[in-house]
Parts: sequence; structure tokens; C-alpha cells
Amino acid sequence: MDQNRQGARASYVALAIFVAAWILLPSAVRRFNREAFAEFQAPALHLLGKSRDLATFWEKKSRSTEELAAAGRDLARINAALEIKLNAMDDVRRENIRLREITRYNVPAEYLSVVARVASRDSSSWWQRIVIRKGRNDGIRPGAPVVFGNTVVGRVTAVHLTTSEVDLVTSPGFRCTAYLEGDDQNRIVLVNGVAAPSLGAAKARVSVIPHDYSMPAGQPARVYTTGMGGVFPSRLTLGYLDGGTYSTQVGNFKESLLLPSRDLYNLQEVSVLVPLHQNPGEALMQGDQFQ
Amino acid sequence: MGWAWLILVLATYPWILGADLASDTLASSSLVFFVTGACLIAPARRLRRWQAVLFAACLGFLFEARRPIPDGALALALVAVAIYLSSNRQLLRTTPGMLRVAAAVNIAACLCWFVAAAYVSPVPAGEQFGSLLLQLLFAGVIGAVGVIPIALTQNSAMDRLGVPPAPETP
Repeated sequence: MDQNRQGARASYVALAIFVAAWILLPSAVRRFNREAFAEFQAPALHLLGKSRDLATFWEKKSRSTEELAAAGRDLARINAALEIKLNAMDDVRRENIRLREITRYNVPAEYLSVVARVASRDSSSWWQRIVIRKGRNDGIRPGAPVVFGNTVVGRVTAVHLTTSEVDLVTSPGFRCTAYLEGDDQNRIVLVNGVAAPSLGAAKARVSVIPHDYSMPAGQPARVYTTGMGGVFPSRLTLGYLDGGTYSTQVGNFKESLLLPSRDLYNLQEVSVLVPLHQNPGEALMQGDQFQ
Repeated sequence: MGWAWLILVLATYPWILGADLASDTLASSSLVFFVTGACLIAPARRLRRWQAVLFAACLGFLFEARRPIPDGALALALVAVAIYLSSNRQLLRTTPGMLRVAAAVNIAACLCWFVAAAYVSPVPAGEQFGSLLLQLLFAGVIGAVGVIPIALTQNSAMDRLGVPPAPETP
């Protein structure tokens, strides 16, 4: 019994020494340790995601021929409509290039789109994240924007070999500048994630809304990216203003909550927009594991 | 067997993965299905102290690896708990005692990661008291309910590995 107590005391002393050493250790050692444990879990996450895909595949395979024929017919109609739109867009693109050349406007950052399946979602009061099944091996870099269609989903915060972690728009670590629909002067507002309430849906906060801004009547105001800072391309939807704006304590500006335009926890697939050239924001993010 | 703790980590991992899956399902409610503390109970009864320490550290690091928590915050707290439990095995001798300890350890570990996450989060922690209480309550219930099936799996693995059974007297 006494020996047991002595052994416990020695263990506590050893732990205290180890804690001190752990704090003093170079951050590279801690990062290596974190990376090793993340990589250990990667195959299981892949297996999980692929099992889900397989289940979806068999669920779809069990559909009747009539259902598939109807789906094919609908797709053909949508394709025809999209082809017309595509031609119209081509004209707009040519016009856009011509105008840019005339005004000598800076070419916006170019992106490589990497489509990735969602492996898992993780949410608490302090973070709202998803893990995607693409990583460093697929060219993904920290800080890259993540979108679904024209909607911003979040931003890559950590990249492992075959998986990446994405901070959602509603996550407290997320910040970006935006414009509000209905503001003709295009004044910049700030969007940042807030800690989620208990059992409630996560939202983001839109702050620095000009005092004289009024929402468009009869519809929620769309919040979209400015394209400044070089992280997000411009005109991507961040979400919609939730209800009315209210005055902040300072009184000069108003604030509102942002409702994501999609249910971020039901996404199966997202696109990571990897900048072709590294931007300053990305360089700042490298080495910062908590951002 | 010296490597029993490592094999036990592998045997316990499906439960941790299952908890991650449950967290995935609960994502819209901002609750984490936390079982890490409960996974420590059965090994702390039978493994030697140094083995229990390594096992606890691995459990903690596995939870921290994909979450924005300061490195080692949970793992080192679990190591301290493992030392305490392996030195006071009489607490785990009966099933009701084991359930009580599982709930308490899961709550303590949950509190540990919650506070550690608040430390690095850019938002003020003051408004999250309700969330903390809810998360702790949830962790306590999961700890008490989940420890039995987890312990059955772990005991089965330890039996196969030839780890001696828990002593009747401390």
C-alpha cells in the first residue's frame, strides 16, 4: 500500500516535469505529434466516407428503370437550359475582358478548383468544422476558400496528407469582409463567426453595418464577398441577414446575424478554390494551427 | 505484456470513431459526443500504471488531433487522471463505483477540453456558461451509459492479451 502511494507520488512528479518540458519544447515537436495523431485517424475517416458513398451508390442502384429514365429526361432538359445560359455567359465574359483591358483593371486572383467529399462534421460552442477527403497530396493549402456553387462554406484551416479541416462560415475563427445587397454605395461590412448557443443553430455576425442602411423590402438581404484581401473571390454568397439590424453599443454602426444560405451540416461535397499563386493571407496562416 | 496499451488503443479506437460519427449527427446542435474519459476506466483497473499513462495520453492526443485545442491540454489531464485511478483501484472495484467514476472522469475531461478551447477561441467565454453546463451534463450521461459496452470490449481485448484481471483487494 505504501509502495503504491510512493509510486503514485513519483508518477505525479514525473508528470509535472513532463508538463514543464512539454511547455518548453519547440512548437515543431508538438505540431509533429498532432500531425502524427491526425494521420493515424485519416484512413478511418476515408473508410467512413467511402462507406457512406457505397451506401448511397446501392441506394441509387436500387431505383427502378422508370425512375432513372425520368431523372435522365429531367437532366437533359436542365442541360439544354444551361447550354443557353453558357452561351450568354460567354458573351458576358468576352465583354468583361474587353472592359478590363480598357480600364487596365487588375486581374483577380485565379483559382484551381478541387472537388472534395465531406468525411465528417464536428461542431461545438467553440468550433464548427468539417473534414474533407482531400489534402496536401491533392494540392490543397491552408487558407484556401471552400465553396459550394456560389456559396461560401468556409476556409481551410489545417491540411494533412489526405484530409483537410475546414472552418465553416459560422465558426468563431472565421472572418471576412462583405457587401450587403441593397447598399448602392458598396460600403464594407465585417462578417465573423460567433460561438454557437446551446442546442441552437450556429450563425455568424455581420458588424459595421452603416447606420443609414435599410434592408430591401420583402426579402432577406444577401451578404456577399468583396474579393478584397485576395482570399475569397468577389460576389460569392456568404448568407442572408437574419431579421432586423440593431444598434451596437458605440451607436455609430449596426449589427445583425448572418444565416448561412445552405445547411452547412448537410453538405456532401464542396469545392476548394486553391489560389494558383500564394496570397499574403495564406502566408500568414502557415504555421498558425489554431486559426 | 508491454505493448498491451498500444493494442488496447487500437481496440478502443472504433468507439472513438463511433463517437465522432455521433458528433457528426449532432453537429447542428453544437454538442460533442464525448467518450474519451469513459474509455479510460477499464484499462485503469487492469493495466500497470505506466501502461495506463501511455494509453491515457494516446486517447487525449487522438481527441485533440483534429480540434482547435492547445496541444496536450486534454492528454496531460487524462494522464493525471490515469495516475490517480491506477493508484486508487478500490474506486473501480464495484460496478456502481465504476459508473460513478466514469461519469466523473468524463465530465472532468470534458470540462478540460471546453476550457482549453475557450482559451484559444477569439470569442469571450462568458456567454457560454449554458453551453458548458449542457455539454457537461451530456458528457456525464454518456460516460455512465457508455462505460459498460466500452469496458466489455476493452476487457475482452485485455483477456486475449493476457493482462492479469483486476485484483480483488487494492
